[in-house]
Amino acid sequence: MAIGSAGAPGAPAPAAPAAPSTSSRPSPHPVDGRRQGLRRRRRRPNTLPYALIAPAVAALVVMLGYPLLRLGILSLQKFGLRQQFGQPPDWVGLDNYHRILTDSYFWDVLWRTVTFAMVNVALTIGLGLLVALLMRTVGRGMRLLVGIGLMLAWAMPALTATVVWQWLFDTQYGLVNWAFTKVGIGDYQGHSWLSEPISFFMVATIIVVWMGIPFVAFTLFAAMSQIPKEIEEAACIDGAGPWQRFRDVTLSMIKPVLLILTALSVLWDFRVFTQIYVLQRAGGINRETNLLGVYAYRISIGENRFDVGAAIAVVMVLITLLLTLVYLRQMVRQEEM
Amino acid sequence: MKLRHLAAIGLAGTLGLAACGSSSKDSGSAGTTAAPSPETNAPATSAAAGTTIRLWLNGEDTKQELVDYAIAEFKKLHPEADVQFERQQWTGIVEKLTTALSSSDSPDVVELGNTQAQAFEAAGALADLSAQKAELGGDDLLQSLVEAGTYDGKFFGVPYYAGARIVVYRTDLFEKAGLTVPTTLDEFIAAGVKLKQDNAATPNFSGIYFPGKYWYAALPFIWQEGGDIAVQDGGAWKGTLSSAASVKGLGMVKKIMDEASGAPKDGDESKDYVAFCNGEVGMLMGPGWKLGQILNEKDGCPAMADKVGAFALPGAAAGTTAPAFLGGSNLAISAKSEHQELALDLLKIMAGKGYQTQFAQAGTIPALKSLLGQVSGDEAAKAQAVAALNSRFVPSSENWAGVEASTVLPDMLVSIAQGGDVQAAATQADQAITSQLNG
Amino acid sequence: MSVAERIVVEAPTADAFTAPAVRRPGRRRPAFRIAVNAAGVAVFLIFVFPVLWMVTTSFRRGVDISSPNPRLLPIPGTLENYRKVFAREFFWSSLRNSLIITLLTVTLALGIAFLAAVAVSRYRFRGRKAFIVAILLVQMVPAEALIISLFKVLDGWHLINTIIGLTLTYLAFVLPFTIWTLRGFVANVPRELEEAAMVDGSSRLRAFLTVTFPLIAPGLVATGVFAFIQAWNEFIFALVIMNRPEHQTLPVWLQAFNEGAKGTDWGGVMAGSTIMAIPVIIFFLLVQHRVTAGLTAGAVKG
Repeated sequence: MAIGSAGAPGAPAPAAPAAPSTSSRPSPHPVDGRRQGLRRRRRRPNTLPYALIAPAVAALVVMLGYPLLRLGILSLQKFGLRQQFGQPPDWVGLDNYHRILTDSYFWDVLWRTVTFAMVNVALTIGLGLLVALLMRTVGRGMRLLVGIGLMLAWAMPALTATVVWQWLFDTQYGLVNWAFTKVGIGDYQGHSWLSEPISFFMVATIIVVWMGIPFVAFTLFAAMSQIPKEIEEAACIDGAGPWQRFRDVTLSMIKPVLLILTALSVLWDFRVFTQIYVLQRAGGINRETNLLGVYAYRISIGENRFDVGAAIAVVMVLITLLLTLVYLRQMVRQEEM
Repeated sequence: MKLRHLAAIGLAGTLGLAACGSSSKDSGSAGTTAAPSPETNAPATSAAAGTTIRLWLNGEDTKQELVDYAIAEFKKLHPEADVQFERQQWTGIVEKLTTALSSSDSPDVVELGNTQAQAFEAAGALADLSAQKAELGGDDLLQSLVEAGTYDGKFFGVPYYAGARIVVYRTDLFEKAGLTVPTTLDEFIAAGVKLKQDNAATPNFSGIYFPGKYWYAALPFIWQEGGDIAVQDGGAWKGTLSSAASVKGLGMVKKIMDEASGAPKDGDESKDYVAFCNGEVGMLMGPGWKLGQILNEKDGCPAMADKVGAFALPGAAAGTTAPAFLGGSNLAISAKSEHQELALDLLKIMAGKGYQTQFAQAGTIPALKSLLGQVSGDEAAKAQAVAALNSRFVPSSENWAGVEASTVLPDMLVSIAQGGDVQAAATQADQAITSQLNG
Repeated sequence: MSVAERIVVEAPTADAFTAPAVRRPGRRRPAFRIAVNAAGVAVFLIFVFPVLWMVTTSFRRGVDISSPNPRLLPIPGTLENYRKVFAREFFWSSLRNSLIITLLTVTLALGIAFLAAVAVSRYRFRGRKAFIVAILLVQMVPAEALIISLFKVLDGWHLINTIIGLTLTYLAFVLPFTIWTLRGFVANVPRELEEAAMVDGSSRLRAFLTVTFPLIAPGLVATGVFAFIQAWNEFIFALVIMNRPEHQTLPVWLQAFNEGAKGTDWGGVMAGSTIMAIPVIIFFLLVQHRVTAGLTAGAVKG
């Protein structure tokens, strides 16, 4: 059924194509001198857009330009603590990259990170969608309650949230072990949730997903609220079942938002650092639970091998590009840039 | 909406409170001005007039009164100069030092953990104090801390204070089991096993509380058997955890973990005092202040005061102690400090007898050997002084920090705790250590 | 009243969040309602529980915190942890620093991002595509990898231990996402509205400010909240850039509780964290009715 091309939900939907009528040409009715003035002005290069992006460009170039450049350069040099304190660095070309890419441990960590990110993204988006749907379906009071819960979770600092969750899963004093034993699921007294990598990542996933759902839920909820009621009601009258209604109406209307959220989640979950780092302190064998973000950090700051750390960061950017390539291509095409 | 108004008032109130809430506790330069403190950018030539040097001390180990004492002594020498004391935390100190010491506004005197010091010394971040070593204590300085503060024959880091691990135990449980304070290492292990057997009814009970990641506590066993983490041969390092001697020591650790400990196999030692206060521990190995922590009024169990004691970890033969891992800090001057002479004077005060005696009286092991006898305090502090006489340190390599950062040793121990083969785990650790230390 | 203003006034200001539930025929079965409400309560509990745990722990005595028999309510309780927090040195200065830096970051980020978003969605100019791609690329770099280089940049400008220095840093990290998001909101406001305003005599820029700006308010709010949380809770850059204690921010200050000489002071950590969460919640409350509400206002179909 034709939903119409006004499918541009207002929620944070950067990918949403502008409504068809908003192309770059001004409305073609030269009703007064002002319009003609506009058209005349268009022939000269318009400096306004450049002026508008100037502050942003300035801030980004000044603050991030040099560091990013330096990151690339560092990855091609031999750079340790001595060089940080003045000794001139040597150029080693692609040695650092060679070192990483031929290290089988690196590939282990990479594989772990990609898997972890994919699982987390799927869960965050999927569960976030369900929560958003729930908020749509319940009454005003319950919606407010859920919203408050989500907001409180969102407001908690990542470090504190991780620490609290780690406490809940603590080997000796955790609530989970105590509750499981009490309820009779089994004898979980003294059960360590972090010693096995799979279990470790399960706890990490719980934390990351728990922290990520609020933003996704709110955004999707906002996107769904954009869907004009008439369309939904029309679908009902047409006799479409709930699943079909959901798929054809809701899902397709929030698709742009869903896409951008997925891309962003991939970006963020691939780089996850705090949760893993804090959990590693609490238990498990670090070597088996390192993800790329933590690994790069341990190598840079911990082992003072800034060169290798930089190379890993560059590789991370390239991989993230790869993972979000599909979305990027679609966005670029949609924008008819 | 009322709620919004309430919230707006709340936010404004918080801002207001913060603005007028800057209490006298906020020492140091006025809060949030934009420019950095002008004094530290003063040229080095105007040595005394209006100069302030920055002192960084980490964590809570140095009490404010001691710092005040040092500053007062400093001002006697330089009445027009001042010391700005900035307490830092251990977390992130490596990042902070890496950036601050190489910046244009570097702190003048910094404290470095003895396992981090080598890396900074090798990097050229610190001022060479070889010429002043005699004035700073010379041969009276604790040897293993001097090693940590020396690189390539040059002296950079003055020993500041040290800590060694001792054993805290439940005197009443010992009595019940008919045990006396062990005088040899084997007796120690046997006592631990017996305690666990006797107290099997208590869940999670540990005859010796030994969590998986506790590598500091594993080292004495390796060293006692003649093994080591790594040795230097010519210019190259080689990991020696898989040597026969080391593996024997690790075997003893494994026995403790299997038969005497009820601690989490992949945990660290940070919650040991909690377990102790819950009655789940017969003996634990900890730093000198562990006893104080256990008996602390607010978070500990002062009621246990008459049931606890401490002793130094015994060695192979009666009357000896096992080699203790000496933790501690060194003080150094930033190579980029613009007030090196002033900083040196402060250093002399802090490494000097007056200051260090106060450390000893507070129960901390001072940097000067001659003051070791003055360490007073509770049983644990005294045991610590005994333990410190036979102390060892990690390989003094500039790359040691990397080995610690990649958690090779805790990982190895956890895998042993979880049932892994000792020889295999040690060999794997050796490979990592060898490649790390050799850069 | 100009055309534009009339449209703004008449735009549906339906508060989506507080609107009644979407009515669907045949869904009134009580079993369904009960199930759905139960699910709502469950979701609420799942998200609120750790927060609750944090707050109750902050009122617990040290000995009770690590007890093998966890209890839900902190009875007997204590205010000792809060007393410790308020008495600890540098609390008020850290709070002040955090507030100023965060509010500055949010304000600047929204302002700069709005202008950039307008430029990118309303104009075609050379470099537009590059700009957009660059914005996305920048978000892919792990921030931790840039600490040391960024420090060097700030050090060169003598901005270490300054509010401006840290604000600029946060700005750089928050801008890409903010521009990205606002772009979509601006794109959703039909050009005709601005042009209508210009017909009435405003300049292009004024049209942006008087017409577009209010209509993307929800977007500004959503990204503002996001930026607030990022800046408020950020740790590692604050740790390194503000290395003098009087210039610290709250997260760095809080870290001290994690390493008392004798191990972590859990009660203090939780009390400090609870206090840290309060301004964020206040900020939320200030803007909550806009976060998801009034989004329908942005979808004025031209």
